[in-house]
Amino acid sequence: MLDDLVLRLRSLFHRNTVETELDEELRFHFEKQVSKFMQSGMAPDEAKRRAGREFGGMEQVKEEHRDARGVRFIETLLEDIRYGLRILSRTPVIASVAVLSLALGIGANTAIFSVMDAVMLRLLPVRNPQELVQVRVRTVKSGTEMNGYFTNPIWEQLRDRQDVFSSTFAWSENRFDLAQGGAVEYANGLWVSGGAFETLGLRPVAGRLLSAADDRRGCAGAAVISYAFWQDRYGGAESAIGGNLSLDGHLFPIIGVAPRGFYGLIVGTKFDVAVPICAIALFGKDSRLDGRSTWWLEIMGRLKPPTVPQQLKARLEVLSRQVFAAAVPLDWEKTERQEFLQRVLVGVPAPTGPSYLRQQMERPLYVLMAVVGLVLLIACANIAGLMLARGMAREKEMATRRALGAARGRLIRQLLTECILLSLAGALLGMLFARWGNAMLLRYISTGRETVFFDLSLNVRVLAFTAAVAVLTGILFGVVPAFRSTRVSLTSAMKGSRALGSDTRVRFRPGKWMVASQIALSLVLLVSAGLFLRSLLGLATLDIGFDRNSVLLVNTNLKAAKVVPERRLQVYDEVEAVLQKLPGVISVGRSWRTPVTGYEWNEYVSVDSPSAPKGDDSLVYFNYVSAGYFVTLHTPLLAGRDFQARDTNTAPGVAVVNEAVARKFFPGASPVGKTFRVVNGHTEAGPSFQIVGLAKDSKYESLREATFPQAFFPISQIPGNDDSEYFEIRTAPRPESLIAAVQNSVGQVNKGISLEFGTLAKQIGDSLVQERLLATLSAFFGGLALLLAMIGLFGALSYLVTKRRPEFGIRIGAGSYAGFDSAPGAAGSGDRAARRLGRGPMSCTRHRASAGKPAVRNVRTRFRNPNHCYPGARCCCLSCGLLSGAASDANRSDGGLAL
Amino acid sequence: MVDRRIDLPQGTLDLLLLRTVALEPLHGWAISERIHQISSKVLFVQQGSLYPALHRLERKGWIQARWGTSENNRRAKFYELTALGRKQLELEESAWRRLAAAVAQILETT
Repeated sequence: MLDDLVLRLRSLFHRNTVETELDEELRFHFEKQVSKFMQSGMAPDEAKRRAGREFGGMEQVKEEHRDARGVRFIETLLEDIRYGLRILSRTPVIASVAVLSLALGIGANTAIFSVMDAVMLRLLPVRNPQELVQVRVRTVKSGTEMNGYFTNPIWEQLRDRQDVFSSTFAWSENRFDLAQGGAVEYANGLWVSGGAFETLGLRPVAGRLLSAADDRRGCAGAAVISYAFWQDRYGGAESAIGGNLSLDGHLFPIIGVAPRGFYGLIVGTKFDVAVPICAIALFGKDSRLDGRSTWWLEIMGRLKPPTVPQQLKARLEVLSRQVFAAAVPLDWEKTERQEFLQRVLVGVPAPTGPSYLRQQMERPLYVLMAVVGLVLLIACANIAGLMLARGMAREKEMATRRALGAARGRLIRQLLTECILLSLAGALLGMLFARWGNAMLLRYISTGRETVFFDLSLNVRVLAFTAAVAVLTGILFGVVPAFRSTRVSLTSAMKGSRALGSDTRVRFRPGKWMVASQIALSLVLLVSAGLFLRSLLGLATLDIGFDRNSVLLVNTNLKAAKVVPERRLQVYDEVEAVLQKLPGVISVGRSWRTPVTGYEWNEYVSVDSPSAPKGDDSLVYFNYVSAGYFVTLHTPLLAGRDFQARDTNTAPGVAVVNEAVARKFFPGASPVGKTFRVVNGHTEAGPSFQIVGLAKDSKYESLREATFPQAFFPISQIPGNDDSEYFEIRTAPRPESLIAAVQNSVGQVNKGISLEFGTLAKQIGDSLVQERLLATLSAFFGGLALLLAMIGLFGALSYLVTKRRPEFGIRIGAGSYAGFDSAPGAAGSGDRAARRLGRGPMSCTRHRASAGKPAVRNVRTRFRNPNHCYPGARCCCLSCGLLSGAASDANRSDGGLAL
Repeated sequence: MVDRRIDLPQGTLDLLLLRTVALEPLHGWAISERIHQISSKVLFVQQGSLYPALHRLERKGWIQARWGTSENNRRAKFYELTALGRKQLELEESAWRRLAAAVAQILETT
């Protein structure tokens, strides 16, 4: 067996040696035979002739020998590749157009697939990730919906009582400011329980990782940094271990570095520093450790190997009763406590790690995958067109080769090899495009407040995907041309003329089919791009209730400044006064939160009215704002007054509400002067507020919301255990140009205040990142498809025209005008294209109908809406232009030459 | 010259080649000559089938080839039997003997 392999490999790699040896052996035999005949008395010539006759054909023997070597397949392949490269290099323009279109198509597919791989398929880079289970909770009310957040008391109960996991850990994400005052420098932090790294089976690159001993109440704190952070900040120096890292103004010793490929547990982010959960007490947030209503931890466990899902379920159910009984929030109402006790822990396999981005991106990714698939299909049709055109030019070559005895299968194989060569070259270039594309994509979806990170390093799956796509593509666009161009009529081809009487209709079919389907496909893409653009445009031009332009947002934080809670308000008042005086500042507003960040704070509200909304219907969304807030954001007050200096924290509670509150709670009456009560979560009675003003509706959490009912309280009445506030500054010049001045003047008040800058316009833009991504990418791919289709159309049409050149020649020869004659040339394709154009809108209609709207209405909407008609019209114009171009090309055919 | 050659029955070529190189290493021409002579000029192996057959046996590992020097000092490729080939030769020989005996028996008795 081994000998066999060695011999085969030898004949493959030392082909020349093997061939020479064979030649030598046969020649030796031949000469021996000759000399034998000569010894028996023959004349030399006669002996040679006789020996030659007996020997048979030397070449045939060699050929048989080659067959016997058993590497025929690979040898032929190598020959084909060599020949293919030679042929392709003879038509460099066609080859490079083909490679480029393929690179764009395959590159787009690779790019989207590698994001898909990183987001959805890749396993966590830890030991046996398939054993990892995320613990979630199911409530009686929620049905199948599950929540993954737990309080620290629940986590401690679960950790100490569970027996179904070999080990468990809890974690939570947090942003730490590394700077000690001034402009913030955020690092992505993780709170982790002591067993986290051990459960995941990770080993430190340097130093040591956190252990259970680091996570005890009253701990001093220790930090493990990620490999990337170690490289970026410390240049990978060993001396970093033992050094101190300032997190929100508290110094933590660095004890070790996590392994290289470990970016954290959550896909879409990467962690920089991990600190034990117990250390949260150092930040003055003890309440987090004992708070029975503070839901902030996520829990994962590693299954003991033979555990089956049923066992896990049963064990967790038993555990749930004990855990929830021991951690029930004591201040909750009786019914709520009962509901709490009925909650059930559920284990969800999490080999890929949890991800919020995954749910958010799953559908857009499928859409994009379909889009790039279509782009590749168009590229295929495109190249098939080019190949057909080239096949025409090679008709004579094919005929000659057939005549010399090449089997048709062999020729097809050779042509397919050429195509696969092309697509592999396209794939290589495409992978380069994909890398650039992905880097751009990541920058694009990263917003000011959160940087999206994917581990997009190449892996076997992505490579296999690309290779498979390349080979399939090669076959897809190669098969039709290969079969067609090898189906040649030997006699007519050799005579150098194509039979005029041949049935043109049959011969034209693939060309027509390709032209039409390319137009249809790119039309589908353009129309869907139009739809995405429209929904983005709809959101971008929505009346959001405030003016996003020229507003600088400054998030100030007193954590690092170590200001006592009693003085906070005063410090913020000072900052506001300083900012008011800055040149270029029109007005300054302050608030606890800024709009459209996805952050929400809501409570139930009750009013003295029998018809007042109850339950979830009575939820109102809150914010604390300063007197200048509405003026600064250009949100008009429709009735009543703005906050004033007299609304101090000792004055009675007042509020400004928006129109949605007025409509809901006080239908038909002015809300100004009325009062409402906040039903504080779990207790019946809450503080009461008098409404002093009515503001225009504005968006609260996101642009997609149906405007929430909102109530604003004066920021001077903020209870005051939060050390962060936002300043909204309306500026005359560009908002960013004031950053340095703001930094400077806030520094004069207190150097320890951390500052983070942004603009309202950018914040709102960032909230549309998903819509913008889909719209931009689909527009980009739609444009790409159109470009490819144009190239392809031209290729296919020139193919059709070349085919019918003799016919045109005859027509012109028979006295037809060139202008008149372009009609049949274009009509054949134009007719077909027009029919397909009709089909494009139809799939558009289907597209919209699937959104649940009646089809008939859609057609009408489509034509009423210029946005939708536009791509269609553009495509139509372009194809007409191309058709006329090719047609006039046809007419240029000189009668005599063509015949 | 009367041609008394007969065509080789299917499958016997391998046996003859193995048998011929069993005594000593031989080059291709010598193999065909030896078969021709020993069979009293009855059997003649066409070159067209000799070399492919030799290369096939070589790939099966029954014979191995080595470049050596011929009687008249020319480079030639010599084939010799391997241990595996010897086993194969025994197998094929006994199979052939049994076949020949059976055929002979039938021819004599009927």
